[in-house]
Amino acid sequence: MIPASFDYVRPQSLEDALARLGEHGDDARVLAGGHSLLPVMKARLADPGVLVDIAGIEGLSGISESEDGITIGAMTTHAEIESSDIVQGRCRSLAEAAAAIGDVQVRNRGTLGGSLAHADPAADYPAVVLAANAEITVTGADGERVVAADDFFTGTYETALGAGEILTSVRIRSSAARGSSAYLKAAQQASGFAVCGVAARLALDADGAVERIRVGVTGVAASAYRATSVEDALTGAAPSAESIRKAAATAGEGVDALDDFYAGADFRRHLAGVYAARAIGKAWIRASGK
Amino acid sequence: MEILRYVAVDDVGNMINPLLVHGQIHGGIAQGMGQALEEEMLYGEGGQPLNASFMHYALPKANRLPRFELLHTTTPTDVNPLGAKGVGEAGTIGSTPAVVNAVLDALSPFGITHIDMPLRPERVWRAIAEKRA
Repeated sequence: MIPASFDYVRPQSLEDALARLGEHGDDARVLAGGHSLLPVMKARLADPGVLVDIAGIEGLSGISESEDGITIGAMTTHAEIESSDIVQGRCRSLAEAAAAIGDVQVRNRGTLGGSLAHADPAADYPAVVLAANAEITVTGADGERVVAADDFFTGTYETALGAGEILTSVRIRSSAARGSSAYLKAAQQASGFAVCGVAARLALDADGAVERIRVGVTGVAASAYRATSVEDALTGAAPSAESIRKAAATAGEGVDALDDFYAGADFRRHLAGVYAARAIGKAWIRASGK
Repeated sequence: MEILRYVAVDDVGNMINPLLVHGQIHGGIAQGMGQALEEEMLYGEGGQPLNASFMHYALPKANRLPRFELLHTTTPTDVNPLGAKGVGEAGTIGSTPAVVNAVLDALSPFGITHIDMPLRPERVWRAIAEKRA
């Protein structure tokens, strides 16, 4: 429970932080809220020589809105996201996911960027950013680049973040006028991590048909994924409880599911279907004002 | 799975400090529920503990427990001058079988009469799936 010894630096600017990462290479890790990295270090599953704490850098935290979306700084805490009127109004599933993370202490310290960069296969946010088609901004020595959520999660604890890059912000478009989203999860009883978490985001046209829908699933497979079979089945028609249940049942089909003592692979695939139906149903009810 | 209501009736003789008595019973009920629903030490091949931290070993937590409704009968004991009885384990002893039996009662339409503790969601699902197969 005691980490290996490490050095600690707390740069005051993004440029300085990037320089430090460049200087130490693979030996350095970015420290955000510390609620994923420090437990891993305490278990000696990671032993970085240098922690580059980005908490002192101005401008990495906060939630801002523009006409068509919101931008959330990487260092924004789960508690800030959970309680933000802007997030609740523009992307309700993100607020719901933030509220479902850990406990009060974790939500007060843990950050959006830290969680996404850590890419735990059972984390809550990955499902939401996939469903919301979020744009993830990462900054490196050569400047900024934007990575689509679809391209961000590349494996268990693996992302599209390159060496020496820092995740700096996440941009999410507002829900459509006739649109909404929802996030629901089956939590592991001890840790609260998702054994299965599903985010659904949809937009309805004037006739009540599904114009577009995206469904993100976390906790089930080695990394979060989109349930495209569910999306395809529901797009273009007015949904019903029955059509949602039928389409959602395929959310875990053919998935190489995690299999551990929390839940066997077949149970996880089953949960994916059940929670997809619930999350889509909830988003649909919200969107249609029923 | 949600526990909708939990009522406990205990006879602890004369209550000297009711607050303390209720606290003991609350804790006992929670512990018994933990055994019924969550707590389990798991070992891998070679005896390696699989859930050796509280990130992995589930304890009953207040946010997943119902409100406990406590009632009492009072039969003073004559083996001590206060007429008080021990209360330390009273809550625990009743709650494990009460909760397991409540789950089995809820599952009775499926013809399920037994599931090994703890009744984690997956075990309940498997028991239902077996009966449906």
